[in-house]
Amino acid sequence: MRAVVLDNEAVHALRTPRHAKHRTVLAHLEGVAHRRRKGASVIAVVPTAVRVEAGWDRTEPASAVINRFRVGDRSLDTSAADVAATIHARTSKGVADSHVGATVRGLPDDDVVILSSDPGDMTLVSSPQAITAVQI
Amino acid sequence: MDKLAVLDEINRLLEVDDETTVNTSMRLPSALRDAAVLAVQHLGVASSTTVMTAGALRQALETAVMTAALEAHYRQHPETRPSLVEVALALAAQDGSPLAQRPDLLERAAAQVLARRPDADADDVLLWAEAQEAASV
Repeated sequence: MRAVVLDNEAVHALRTPRHAKHRTVLAHLEGVAHRRRKGASVIAVVPTAVRVEAGWDRTEPASAVINRFRVGDRSLDTSAADVAATIHARTSKGVADSHVGATVRGLPDDDVVILSSDPGDMTLVSSPQAITAVQI
Repeated sequence: MDKLAVLDEINRLLEVDDETTVNTSMRLPSALRDAAVLAVQHLGVASSTTVMTAGALRQALETAVMTAALEAHYRQHPETRPSLVEVALALAAQDGSPLAQRPDLLERAAAQVLARRPDADADDVLLWAEAQEAASV
């Protein structure tokens, strides 16, 4: 099973049709949909702290389009917050990036892809779990 | 109800955290039901045929909504539709394939595959590109 995780830049790109990377992120979602149509188990997720940083409020009318793409939330609940706090202390990365790392640890999937403007940071916060960090 | 409203309602229903079940009048071919029972009992594919059926239905619905939402977006913003090569590149990157660094090769592969199969998909392009790479070594 594969999980494709969106970081702040990927969310920004997805929300804005004029964004330079909009098509790139759409191509990744097309890839998710394509593999699902072929029977593969693939999901797209966003850590909720990333949504906060990116200003993605699902209740706003402006979010209607991005809400339809079925990018599921991964909440910063008690256990995720504990893991994110440890990652934050270890890496000095921000709350959103640390939540990405905690999300990776919490996913049942052995194949995790992170779409990010900074793949190095994503590898760092996800360590020691191996991930595929894709530069967008 | 317009199509976007339908998508929003399906999405809302898919997110409902509700264990309530219903007996449906949905009719399954009996051979398919019997095959599912055997798969559950002997292959361990799910804890019950109900779980198996619900899981398959959810997967199909989520995929259909995602596909329809993307298509609706392209109707409003046609310039945002990724090309076959862009989708192939995205999948190569997700797969961790070295082809993600070879857009030139994927461009050529896409052109060649589309010339023979106009309905080719991104995995067809990746497979053809990989075969060409292997043949050239």
